[in-house]
Amino acid sequence: MIFNQILGNQPVDFKKKCQLRIWLAAGFVLLGLLSLLIVFLTHGEIPVLYLEEGHQDFTRGFFSGIGGGLIAAGLITIYKNYSYLKHADSRKKREIFETDERNRLLGLRSWAYAGYGMFLLLYLGIIACAFVSLTIMKTLLAVSAVFALLLLFFRVLLQKHM
Amino acid sequence: MKNRIQELRKERRIRQEDLAEAVGVTRQTIISLENGKYNASLLLAHKIASYFGSTIEEIFLFEEEERV
Repeated sequence: MIFNQILGNQPVDFKKKCQLRIWLAAGFVLLGLLSLLIVFLTHGEIPVLYLEEGHQDFTRGFFSGIGGGLIAAGLITIYKNYSYLKHADSRKKREIFETDERNRLLGLRSWAYAGYGMFLLLYLGIIACAFVSLTIMKTLLAVSAVFALLLLFFRVLLQKHM
Repeated sequence: MKNRIQELRKERRIRQEDLAEAVGVTRQTIISLENGKYNASLLLAHKIASYFGSTIEEIFLFEEEERV
């Protein structure tokens, strides 16, 4: 229901949005805890199936950092949205800020330009990697393919709702 | 597209904050509208026109090339 409203650009009850964000943020906290649990259970030596020779294993720091970051971001999001639910004044201000049509257009355009930029960088990266590493080149090709598929998927999905 | 928002607002001594709150946008949007940097959607144009007790055509002035 709420996703149909979002896709169809219909106004969504801000309280419901806050509640949904609290649940999503709780999911982020769980993912963060899972990351830290992986580090804890593997004693920091996370098995990597394919580790290139001479490559320094940084997965322990990566998983710890990502885990900590997800937990922090999740808790902050929960606190902020809980505060909006509790205080009508701050909720009203935030609702105006988020539903303001210029802000929404700025957000959409920023995402669009970031997407164009990302696609161009991926393309340049693929060409450059052909001279450096075929593994990285294939990885970038896969990323750009997923990116293009996601773009197509959302275009088709949005066409049905708009 | 030009508009008469600033003119009408000053005539009636309304602050940008008050107009913004009444039509449900931020003050920055009102500033951008008044400076001609942003064109309002049909819904916002309608809200602004209703707020001033006027019509969209009286507030938002279409240039000749924008007309059908």
